[in-house]
Amino acid sequence: MRHWILAGLISGLAFTTAQADWTPDIEAWNSPQPEQPDAVLIRNATIWTATDKGILENHDLLIRNGRIDRIGSGLSAPRGAIEIDAEGHHVTPGIIDGHSHAAILGGVNEATRISTADVRIRDVIDSESINIYRQLAGGVTTINLLHGSANAIGGQMSVIKMRWGASPAELVFDAAPEGIKFALGENPKQSNWQASELRYPQTRHGVEQIIRDKFQQAADYRQAMDSFPSGRAARDRVPPRPNHELEAIAEILNSERDVHSHAYRADEMLALMRLAEQFDFVIKTFQHVLEGYKIAPRMAEHGAGGSTFIDWWAFKYEAIDGTGFNPALMHQSGVLTALHSDNPELARRMNLEAAKAVRYGGVDEHDALKMVTAWAADQLGVGDRIGRLAPGMDADLVIWTAHPLSTRALVDQTWVDGRRYFDREADQRMREKLEAERAELMARVLDSNGDNANGNDGDGQDSAPERRRVHSFATHLTGYRQSELDHDEFCIFHDH
Amino acid sequence: MMNSAFSMITDLIDNLAPNGPVRRLALAATASLLMVSAAQASTTALVGATVHPVSSDPIENATVLIRDGRIEAIGSDVDIPDDAERVELDGLHLYPGFIHPGTQLGITEIASVAGTVDTVEMGNINPAIRVEVAVNHDSELLPTSMAGGILSAHIVPGGGLIRGTSAVISLEGWSWEEMTLAAPVAMHIVYPPGAVDDEDNDDLKLINQTLDLARHWHQANAAANDGNGPAPARNDQLEALGGLLSGDVPLMLHANRYDVMEAALDWAQEQGFERIILSANADVQYLADRLAADDVPVILRDVYSLPTRRWEAYDMAFVAPAKLEAAGVKFAIADTGSGLQVANARNLPFQAGSAVGHGLSEDAALKSVTLWPAEIFGLGDELGSLEVGKRATLFAATGDPLEATSQIRQVWVDGQSVDLGRDRTRRLYERYKDRNANVQGR
Repeated sequence: MRHWILAGLISGLAFTTAQADWTPDIEAWNSPQPEQPDAVLIRNATIWTATDKGILENHDLLIRNGRIDRIGSGLSAPRGAIEIDAEGHHVTPGIIDGHSHAAILGGVNEATRISTADVRIRDVIDSESINIYRQLAGGVTTINLLHGSANAIGGQMSVIKMRWGASPAELVFDAAPEGIKFALGENPKQSNWQASELRYPQTRHGVEQIIRDKFQQAADYRQAMDSFPSGRAARDRVPPRPNHELEAIAEILNSERDVHSHAYRADEMLALMRLAEQFDFVIKTFQHVLEGYKIAPRMAEHGAGGSTFIDWWAFKYEAIDGTGFNPALMHQSGVLTALHSDNPELARRMNLEAAKAVRYGGVDEHDALKMVTAWAADQLGVGDRIGRLAPGMDADLVIWTAHPLSTRALVDQTWVDGRRYFDREADQRMREKLEAERAELMARVLDSNGDNANGNDGDGQDSAPERRRVHSFATHLTGYRQSELDHDEFCIFHDH
Repeated sequence: MMNSAFSMITDLIDNLAPNGPVRRLALAATASLLMVSAAQASTTALVGATVHPVSSDPIENATVLIRDGRIEAIGSDVDIPDDAERVELDGLHLYPGFIHPGTQLGITEIASVAGTVDTVEMGNINPAIRVEVAVNHDSELLPTSMAGGILSAHIVPGGGLIRGTSAVISLEGWSWEEMTLAAPVAMHIVYPPGAVDDEDNDDLKLINQTLDLARHWHQANAAANDGNGPAPARNDQLEALGGLLSGDVPLMLHANRYDVMEAALDWAQEQGFERIILSANADVQYLADRLAADDVPVILRDVYSLPTRRWEAYDMAFVAPAKLEAAGVKFAIADTGSGLQVANARNLPFQAGSAVGHGLSEDAALKSVTLWPAEIFGLGDELGSLEVGKRATLFAATGDPLEATSQIRQVWVDGQSVDLGRDRTRRLYERYKDRNANVQGR
């Protein structure tokens, strides 16, 4: 078996195997798509539905052709179904991270103009980011790729499913409505950074003004476009010049594009909601929203959701009033509340971020889980497809070894579209495969018997080739591509 | 009790460099500490909780008797004096306070606002830096950390190659002098990564030259003290290295890649340093056997970390504690301790909990954030477990404190109850909770 895998690797051939032997690869381009079985029956699990059906103990869940077919007890397996005995395990919807930069090529911030509404994440999705596989191992099935926060009006976002091994276009979750990143406060007004040229605005009121100005320009643009005659009447007339920036902003005004706005302070969020109401649309979510609890009733009245880190605070001045109780308070006031990572490492343990909503303010455990599943899906406008375990929903789910809010819980399996993209056993096979490949390559390098090359990772002399791959990066992280470590440098900064 | 505390501390002070300002400060700190203890003379009985001593098995429905800031008795049949204040803790769990083994709490406030940050001194050679003198005892981050059960912390200086000395502080107190429990705890040296495969590395040369100079300076000074020569010119930096060179002050070596760690250990052993603590990231698991053999304890930085190398397994950092335990290395779990993470020191115990999911024993997980850091810093008789004679620095939680769902309800430092309402994040919650319930929209 091992030799056969090795042979396949060395000759560089892609290969497919039966479900039981499916093995992912550390490189997306070499990772075979897991099959989508006609039927999968997960038996005897504790099922967190993230619906009003609650948490169902000792229940079964049937997947057919990528969708959830039934949830019940004592379900019978269709002919040929894959059966998984999940006794003692918990099943939850796949985790949805509403604020991510984990798979964006060539830079997260187009930190130039104050409005870059015309730039699109979908043009720069990094389908080969190792973050996708790593986050699957943390139970994440969908992420929202957003631009950074350098500009008041950032760019067009892209919601992707974590289909490791698929192409950028195939990652895009086509059910998701269009959206755009906005940013308020310290970052667009350049409190902690400076563009090459001084840029307006430098104050929060300037940020409000420039957004108002852009909305007005976009409204005028749309009116000019709409009033331009068609057919014969258009002859001999010069049409308005297409403007991709104003086109995208006009879609906001027509409620065809959702605004997800980075914000920390209450004042700036109040100002943006008021502006949106003047232009007759609704801010879909505030992102980070650290002071959301101060204006939670107002957010609920407007209809804005709050997507927050649960306990990051005090890392910059506008985060001084951050509190872990924010999700509890927003939720109690009726704000659609979700938790996000904004960080490729944190994204791997969003279940524990949800656990903290129980710690700070006593949110019910099931509701806490909804903050990283159902309600996160609702904020992205895909709550009818993902984020809940119910008949007809996409089979995006996680099988946990223990209570999903426990620090002791591991992800055992992660399914997307009824395909098993992460499986601890398959991950183990991948490690063995990589080890075998490494041993083979070492043997060739040393041009001697293979035993010398079979050493473990840690023992000095055996690891010489690995050492040579170490470069003097600013960080100790090694071998990563820039896009995999990229982050919104104005939002979560790194040490030094 | 007070006498034994005093002698413990004076012993510690006696071990300090004999002629430095460090010793004088430690004495001053001891004096103020004793004043406080005297002022707080009282007896408190914490009753009804399940007590988790860490050093021994949990005891249900037990009493912890505290007198003058120290634990006087623990058990299920403790006699409670009539004058003792009774605190009923039915259904709660008592644990020793967590000890953060490497952070810049107290010297960081708002990480992005330079005026509030005192973490990185300029230059490469700063052995005379004593970090505790810059600890802001009223930092907003301290009560929030205490509300998360972090009741003591090892505060480390940053920047340069030889960074100065660190201190273990209590997070509760009215001045850094009162809060300092031990200083200097270690001299901090960053091993230059470039020296791994370059014998002529400039940074390493600078460190070596500095240590040689210091040796010569102390030799000359000793000779002068013995009347065998003129006294060398005062030099605060060289003088400050005396404790490290004499072995009184341990060396804390910082390295973030296993080959650097390995070279750093080789170097430190060649230099003749016998008391070495390694501050390292998850790569340290690859040196576990050597560290166990050489009896080098480890401050493990950030279980919650991406794998060091892209091609490593997704759980590479998560399993590091289990690997260290399996090899028999004594370790304390830390976060990165700087920048963004300082304000969230309170999340430290969850790293230990997650390590259990990845193979660490429950016993080791708890000790890695309590008893083991205390022992590594020479405070094993003072902190880290609930035992008779130790400081009554502990908290009551609704359940296992390595779980993020558990809540911490009460905190005591040296027997005194800490007002959790001082936690800014809770204060804001209290302020807005009722207001929001009574308001609709604008």
